[in-house]
Amino acid sequence: MGLLAAGIGAGIVALGAGIGIGMIGKAATESIARQPEAAGDIRGAMILTAAFIEGVALLGAVICILLALGIGQ
Amino acid sequence: MIQTLRRLFLTFLFISVSTSTTSAAEEKSGGSPLDVMGTVADHDYFNLFSIHIPLPRLIVLESAEGNVSFEVSGSTQAAIESGLFEDVDHVLVPTNGGHIVMDFSITSHLVYFWLGMGLAIWFTFAMSSRYKKGVGQEVEPKGWLQNMFEVLFLFIRDDVSRANIDDHKADKYVPYLFTMFMGIAFMNLFGLLPWAATATADLTVTATLAVITFFVTQFSGTKDYWGHIFWFPGVPGWVRIILTPVEVLGMFTKPFALAIRLFANMLSGKIMIIAILGLIFIFAELFGSIGAYGISIVSVSLTVVLYALKVFVGLLQAYIFTLLSAVFIGMAAEDHHHDEEHYNAEHVA
Repeated sequence: MGLLAAGIGAGIVALGAGIGIGMIGKAATESIARQPEAAGDIRGAMILTAAFIEGVALLGAVICILLALGIGQ
Repeated sequence: MIQTLRRLFLTFLFISVSTSTTSAAEEKSGGSPLDVMGTVADHDYFNLFSIHIPLPRLIVLESAEGNVSFEVSGSTQAAIESGLFEDVDHVLVPTNGGHIVMDFSITSHLVYFWLGMGLAIWFTFAMSSRYKKGVGQEVEPKGWLQNMFEVLFLFIRDDVSRANIDDHKADKYVPYLFTMFMGIAFMNLFGLLPWAATATADLTVTATLAVITFFVTQFSGTKDYWGHIFWFPGVPGWVRIILTPVEVLGMFTKPFALAIRLFANMLSGKIMIIAILGLIFIFAELFGSIGAYGISIVSVSLTVVLYALKVFVGLLQAYIFTLLSAVFIGMAAEDHHHDEEHYNAEHVA
């Protein structure tokens, strides 16, 4: 059961993070296309926001690892 | 905070212990020779070109009668031979019913932490003596090392510190941010050596770094920063009852996320490489040696690509840790424009 929960959980984590980072990438490329001279600033903001999403996603991934290894049973 | 860290540390200690016993069981049944957690977990020896050099164990021991003593032994083996400890599932347990108060043992991750930070400090001091002599100030910087130093230092100063912290305060934090960046980058890159350990793939190391950032952030907090935490300006009184706990919690979640992000990134890179190499052994069991040879072409080439990715991720995570530290410090050290707040306060009232 723990393995099943970890697998499903990791899938949902990847789904959420993928949607989030995809939306950042979409918005960033659109704004760079619209205003190429601000590309540096936009890239900085993009990396920062992606790092925040990544942090939450990895938190979920760590919990999935703990579940898979049967910690806390 | 310390309680939580200790609990987390115990959890991961538990992982290393529980997996080392399972991997030992696997070896008996002739399973995969790859030990996933063994490469990730902390060890009591320093692995130099596959030669295991034992590291000293420093343990504060409380005996059953309540006498606290500080036990120093050259290695885990010596600690067991001294008769004070016994080996229970690869963990030192005191023999006479006492318990370990604090384990200050020098481990492989700690050695790589020292190596990373030491290299960062040596690099900075060596370069600063050059600048004092005038190389780089009156004449151009000499050699690839000083040129690289200048690129990295200017990057941290201009794009990380000055971009996120108020101008007149920014330069004060550059030494801290640069040490963090270089230290973490060296630690991450040490993990790419085949025999070495990634110190940052250990939650205790990243948590320590994050706690330092936490204290730097709190001590550089202005009056406005604390005002925004405990007495949020410009909102009705009852909202403050909700906002204050959230803001206080926010103080602690930021460094927590910082620690988890670096830890999980470095850990996942290692696990991913081992998992892909492990495919060879899984295929060898399923389809025999022909399947193993076939998949090894895919696995090894994929591992090479992942390795290159890990170089990039190691530098990127060092940058992100430094950048987020700078953002948090910048948020705390920011001088607010007071006319803006008065405007808000008047309109709410």
